[in-house]
Amino acid sequence: MMEEKSGSLGARQHISTRFAEELEAIKNSLLEMGGKTESQIRLATEALLSGAGDTAEEAVQMDRDINQMEVEIDDQCARIIARRQPAAFDLRLIISIAKVTTDLERIGDEASKVAQMALKSTVRLPVRVAENHTTALATHVSNMLRRALDAFARLSVDAAVRVMLANKDSMEDYDAGMQLLEAAIRDNPATLKSCMDQIWALRSLDRIGDHASNIAEQIVYLVTGSDVRHMDEATLLNLLDVSTDS
Amino acid sequence: MSIKPTLETPGLMANTVNEGPVSGVMTALTAAATFLAIFSVILFLGFLLFIGGSWLLEAQTVITAGGVEERYNWQVLFSGESELSVTGGIFPAIVGTVVVTLLMAVIVAPLGIVVAVYLTEYASDGWSTQLLRIGVQNLAAIPSIIYGVFGLAFFVYVIGGRVDALFFESNLPDPTFGAPGLLWASLTLAILTLPTVIVATEEGLSRLPATLREGSRALGATRVETVLYVVIPAATPSILTGVILAVARAAGEVAPLMLVGVVKYAPSLPIGLEAPFIHLEQKFMHLGFFVYDLTMHAPAGDGRLGIVAAAGLLLVAVIVTLNIVALLLRMSLRRRYVQTGLD
Amino acid sequence: MDHREALIAASSHRVRQGGYAPGIEVNGLSLTYPDEPNALVDINLSIPGGEVTAVIGPSGCGKSTLLRCFNRMNDMLEGCRYSGSIMLHDLNILDPATDVTALRRRVGMVFQRPNPFPMSIYDNVAYGPRIGGVRRRRDLDEIVENSLRLAALWDEVKDGLGRNAAILSLGQQQRLVIARAIAVRPEVLLMDEPASSLDPISTLRIEELIYELKQSYTIVIVTHNMQQAARVSDRTAFLNQGQVIEYDVTDKIFTNPSEPATEDYITGRYG
Repeated sequence: MMEEKSGSLGARQHISTRFAEELEAIKNSLLEMGGKTESQIRLATEALLSGAGDTAEEAVQMDRDINQMEVEIDDQCARIIARRQPAAFDLRLIISIAKVTTDLERIGDEASKVAQMALKSTVRLPVRVAENHTTALATHVSNMLRRALDAFARLSVDAAVRVMLANKDSMEDYDAGMQLLEAAIRDNPATLKSCMDQIWALRSLDRIGDHASNIAEQIVYLVTGSDVRHMDEATLLNLLDVSTDS
Repeated sequence: MSIKPTLETPGLMANTVNEGPVSGVMTALTAAATFLAIFSVILFLGFLLFIGGSWLLEAQTVITAGGVEERYNWQVLFSGESELSVTGGIFPAIVGTVVVTLLMAVIVAPLGIVVAVYLTEYASDGWSTQLLRIGVQNLAAIPSIIYGVFGLAFFVYVIGGRVDALFFESNLPDPTFGAPGLLWASLTLAILTLPTVIVATEEGLSRLPATLREGSRALGATRVETVLYVVIPAATPSILTGVILAVARAAGEVAPLMLVGVVKYAPSLPIGLEAPFIHLEQKFMHLGFFVYDLTMHAPAGDGRLGIVAAAGLLLVAVIVTLNIVALLLRMSLRRRYVQTGLD
Repeated sequence: MDHREALIAASSHRVRQGGYAPGIEVNGLSLTYPDEPNALVDINLSIPGGEVTAVIGPSGCGKSTLLRCFNRMNDMLEGCRYSGSIMLHDLNILDPATDVTALRRRVGMVFQRPNPFPMSIYDNVAYGPRIGGVRRRRDLDEIVENSLRLAALWDEVKDGLGRNAAILSLGQQQRLVIARAIAVRPEVLLMDEPASSLDPISTLRIEELIYELKQSYTIVIVTHNMQQAARVSDRTAFLNQGQVIEYDVTDKIFTNPSEPATEDYITGRYG
């Protein structure tokens, strides 16, 4: 039913083509911002793992663009609300976009932090602890983000719910990585600084997962109109079942 | 004045652009027609004013009991002291004209309103209503003398005869209402002008927005209450327009009146200061007939055209006065409605 | 208490505060015109008392027709047939035996264009009570003042009650018409696009007035203006082609309607 609804919305045209174009443009801007954030994460992680300074610099630079995009998209949202008084799906779309940009901007901040850790590590990090877990976590969360953006583009509740459920999986790598890093510090207190940086990076990656999950929540709200924030897993699974059944 | 074109409004510019040769011809034609109409009115009024007016202001010698006096013609005309005024002067004729016209207005207004209200508010929109409406409109096309014949036959003989038989038996065989008189003349004129009032009133009623009636009905008013308290008051200007047109037409009618009540000489006025104030059965004098009579029977000579024109001038003056009174009445009412778009 | 006394008493503010505003239950209402066999089709609505219910929908969807069922204004149209029932408390509005003039005193109506009668401001407001039998000048004075106050017009016209209603601005005229409607102390107020001919500021005044009035009246408003429906109403019914497509609390309709057709309409998409 949900799929059908979103499908029908896609098929029906606004009487005001200019309004339709505005909505289309703002959606594309958001996806573009998401894409940029995705590549920033990739670059930051790469830098962290390889210790390549220029890559890290590039990732930090990208954050500025992302911040700029957030401001622009929010501005567009305000303009549409003021001039079009959107209702129903259109209203939810604008609200979701405004919220998703915030999450994307935060993701950008976190990715930037990861990149900064990489810059620091180039100076004082020969020690690489929990490399696998960091890689796995980075891959996982950027996957989540990509799928969340994809779900947004397709207005798929099912995909969005799967992103939210996937957030739980990132815990394993995060916990395991932390344990390794704790042990490393205990074994050799001299690596404290280096390990702390890696802990911060892990934390940032984990936060990216949380933001990706928030984005997914907004997609569920956008399509169904129901707020799924702070819902337990059973309820989420239920939503998933409903949407896969139909 | 190179700046002038830019000062013109866009509308004016557009008008100039759209005007083709045909519209130029039309403009010239309408201008010519308007000029002709105005010219003939001026010619007509000028004739009456000049000939009639100058006659009125001429002096003549009158032999009276006290000797010989110089009198202006208008004094003579009103006093009835000359050979041409065996009829008692022009004054009774003025009074007769005013009275018969006002009485006609009093009769035709409610009658016309009732018919118009029936046609717009009550009658269903079927073919019978349309037929009635067409019939009413065509009544206006019947020559007025036919109305006179009808009035004589129906009002005087049929109705008047009945009334006499029922109420004035003691006077028979002398007729009371069974002969031409003021009431029958007024009624005949009322029938004559009824279509005018109906059409104008109907027009006014149909122009009232439906929401006015709905507003009243929505407050719990019945149809009758709505018609009485909202619809008719709102249509008053239109009704008065109809009455004005009716008065204008009736005051100038002579032919039918000759059959149903007007005489060359009436010994007394149809109205008086004592009860019953108005004598509905009396015959009366009329300016229109006065003019006719003078034209036919005034002594030939220099004064003849003058006196006829003077009487005509007075007739026109009476009609214009009656119309102005009605117009003022309508204007004062219209000021109250104009902003609601009810007119 | 006879009707006259009831009218006077009811027009005072004291009584008004506890105003009795009944709900309206529409059951299986269908309506046909000779050239529109499906003007209304099986309408079921439960309109709560003391709230504002908006009826929205495209032109010709039957929303005005529905509104006019509530005070039987459709009776004035030839060939109009209806079935079903509309219960106002325990009165079936559609029952042929229902006294229509009495019904219209309970269910007042405000029209699209201000339609003041061509008479004074005072006489306009006093029209309904006079028809209802109120004759004493003092009683009428009281009703007129109370009604004009409630319609938020008193301060603007109190110095010229004898002036013709036509001199008022359109916005003032519409408030006058509302005062005229509440002067007969109805329980329900029907509003047929009450602000569609007004400028934005006058529109806001009317909307503010609607908000004030809902404390004492059940209000049903038909509007083309969806933002207006969103602003003033507690509940919204979406009508299309004579049918109720969706009826829900206004918040729900304007943020997350259940029916795709409602969604399409309020977001301005081709249906």
